[in-house]
Amino acid sequence: MRRRIALLALLSAFVLAPLAAGPYLLSVLVVVMYMAYLGQAWNIMMGFAGQLSLGHSLYGGLGAYVTAALFVNWGVPAVLGLPAGIAVAVAAGAVVGALGFRFGVKGVYFALLTIAFAEFTRVLFEHIPSLGGTGGLFLPVGSRDGVDLLRLRGHPLMFYYLILAMAVGAFLLCRRLLACRIGYQWLAVREDQEAAQALGINVFRAKLAAVMLSAGLTAAGGVFFAFYYNTLFPTQAFGMGRSIDIILAPIVGGLGTLFGPILGALILTPLGELITWGTEALGFKAAGLKQLCYGLSLLAIVKFLPDGVWPWLRRRIGFDPADDEEEGT
Amino acid sequence: MPVSRFPFVSRRDFLAGTAAGAAALGVGGSLRPARAAQPLKVGLLLPLSGSLAREGQSCKRGADVTPALMADLGMPVQLMIADTETNLDTARTRAEKLIADGAEVLIGAFESAQTLAVAQVCEQRGVPLVINIAAAPNITEQGFKTVFRNFPTAPRLVTEGLALMKEMFKTSGTTPSKAVFMHNNDTFGTAMAGAVGKLFPTLEMPFPIVETISYDGAARDLAVEVGKAKATGADLLILVAHGEDSIKVIREMVKQRFEPKAVVSPGSPGMYEVQFYKTLGKYADYSLTNLPWINPHTKMSQALLTAFGKAYPDALFEMNVGFTFEAILIAADAARRAGSTNPKALLDVLPTTNIADHVMIGGPIVFDAKGQNTNTRSATIQNFGGRPKVVFPAEAAEARVVFPAPGWQQRG
Repeated sequence: MRRRIALLALLSAFVLAPLAAGPYLLSVLVVVMYMAYLGQAWNIMMGFAGQLSLGHSLYGGLGAYVTAALFVNWGVPAVLGLPAGIAVAVAAGAVVGALGFRFGVKGVYFALLTIAFAEFTRVLFEHIPSLGGTGGLFLPVGSRDGVDLLRLRGHPLMFYYLILAMAVGAFLLCRRLLACRIGYQWLAVREDQEAAQALGINVFRAKLAAVMLSAGLTAAGGVFFAFYYNTLFPTQAFGMGRSIDIILAPIVGGLGTLFGPILGALILTPLGELITWGTEALGFKAAGLKQLCYGLSLLAIVKFLPDGVWPWLRRRIGFDPADDEEEGT
Repeated sequence: MPVSRFPFVSRRDFLAGTAAGAAALGVGGSLRPARAAQPLKVGLLLPLSGSLAREGQSCKRGADVTPALMADLGMPVQLMIADTETNLDTARTRAEKLIADGAEVLIGAFESAQTLAVAQVCEQRGVPLVINIAAAPNITEQGFKTVFRNFPTAPRLVTEGLALMKEMFKTSGTTPSKAVFMHNNDTFGTAMAGAVGKLFPTLEMPFPIVETISYDGAARDLAVEVGKAKATGADLLILVAHGEDSIKVIREMVKQRFEPKAVVSPGSPGMYEVQFYKTLGKYADYSLTNLPWINPHTKMSQALLTAFGKAYPDALFEMNVGFTFEAILIAADAARRAGSTNPKALLDVLPTTNIADHVMIGGPIVFDAKGQNTNTRSATIQNFGGRPKVVFPAEAAEARVVFPAPGWQQRG
């Protein structure tokens, strides 16, 4: 009960934030929500089903490129292009998953497989002239004053509420999934694959479902990215850096927890801004100092809170341990 | 000696020269000295860390020496520098932060994707963006009212890069019979290769490209690729490379005694970087690069070069320095003409910018209806004694082009 109240209070704070936040803070909050959303999507695969993907930018990039290409070349509104983007990403996820799981590719080897797919897709997209190749795909920016949800053109506030809705939606979806049969199957597979198989769980199907669902959700995040920034470059959309961005929030927040990706995003993005502000306020203007401090902060979090911040915080604030079951931890 | 040393020009000369030049050319009196006004708060967005840090730092060096020069012109500026970390998300939030902190004009952001992210913020907030460097044509095709670019688009860079080769052959009286094209297979190299492939047939070049060889810049050596290039019998090597791989290519050429009439780049970095000179010594000489460059003969550029040489005696003056200086100059000039530092007032006068006396080679800085300066021009620079010198166009030339280049063993 206490947790629900806390969640509602947090949600209310986010809904009302634009009333107090200026454009700068709003842009930071958009990044927070975007990272929370992507982290939630990745968490399904790694946190719930235990399958390490280090090439998750593949799905975001595919969703982004397909939807953006439909919009740029044929004027297909973003909302109508979105299913196509998701379908392509889900298909890619199915291929990666089927290849990996059918041939028993596990652990770091599966992670390498996901990186390989992201990398060769990046190279492939660098050589597709109709999608801009290395020169990038630019979406016409259009008006930023109105609200056009069909074409995803409009004011930054529209994008803020959109990504907030996506993050909340992903949270609720994951919560629901964990209470379903498939959720329990994922947790069983994550804890002991052989035991899960012995219990009659179709491990291949369960893992494939996790990959495809995660890919589809990540693709929707990619669509948001494309229409928010209006530029797509293969290195930026499919690059390793993007994949690492995706996984940081759930790792810092708490892998396999529902609230971990949100908390992780709430820590990481503002932490970067705070470090920038702090170093500037103290008169340190050396380039790269922020990254150094950021890296050290991450090291400290991983060292002292190896399970992530949320499991520690949950214990500190004394949330009902029964809630743990809902979180798959 | 670094190209930046022009010790005979003082800031006072610079002030007098530019003011006189502006008055004589009647460019709206935009550069006349006047009483110091309220400083224009310039938000400068650069990739000071991340994969483009080297280039961002180079731009920053140009920015660092600019406020003093602007103050001499009666156009005080206050720089607010932000690091985009070569990251799209950061570029956007930094732009918002700079505006929130009071920046009245933004300048940046060296790379096209980040620049477009910043441009959208500027358009939304009604704050001008003066682009120092970003070549994607789409940026000025979006119908933005707040974006002004003082840098050529990518197709224009390649077109001029190739056209300058023709001019060089004409002047020297020697035309190569065939060329081989080598390029790094990274994002930049592939984009350049695509542009060369598209534009080369349309420019009636006096020689064919007999083979295009793409290579991995991270490879330990490029013996196979250079051997393949040599086997074509080409007497011109067109090279699109970065610092490290351009060194590998030249080293391998020396080793294999591959001696074309020239090694020429149609617009990539690499062959005018400090490391290239330090590592290759005499073998770095005579390489040619076609790209926008500073006109060393104007009073303003001499003052900039002097200030730059004093501040950074070991750094080489690059295109990035000049364009960053000019972007600040454009903003400061707008503030002067508007008589205000208010962003809206700046936006009112920026479309009528007309700066005849500036530092980069090309005509007066003016913007078309899309906010693009169409008067930028490329130059040909050639390496002599460990530094680049302008050899084309004639009005900016510091030396005569040496073409064909002497063989590797004939160099002192």
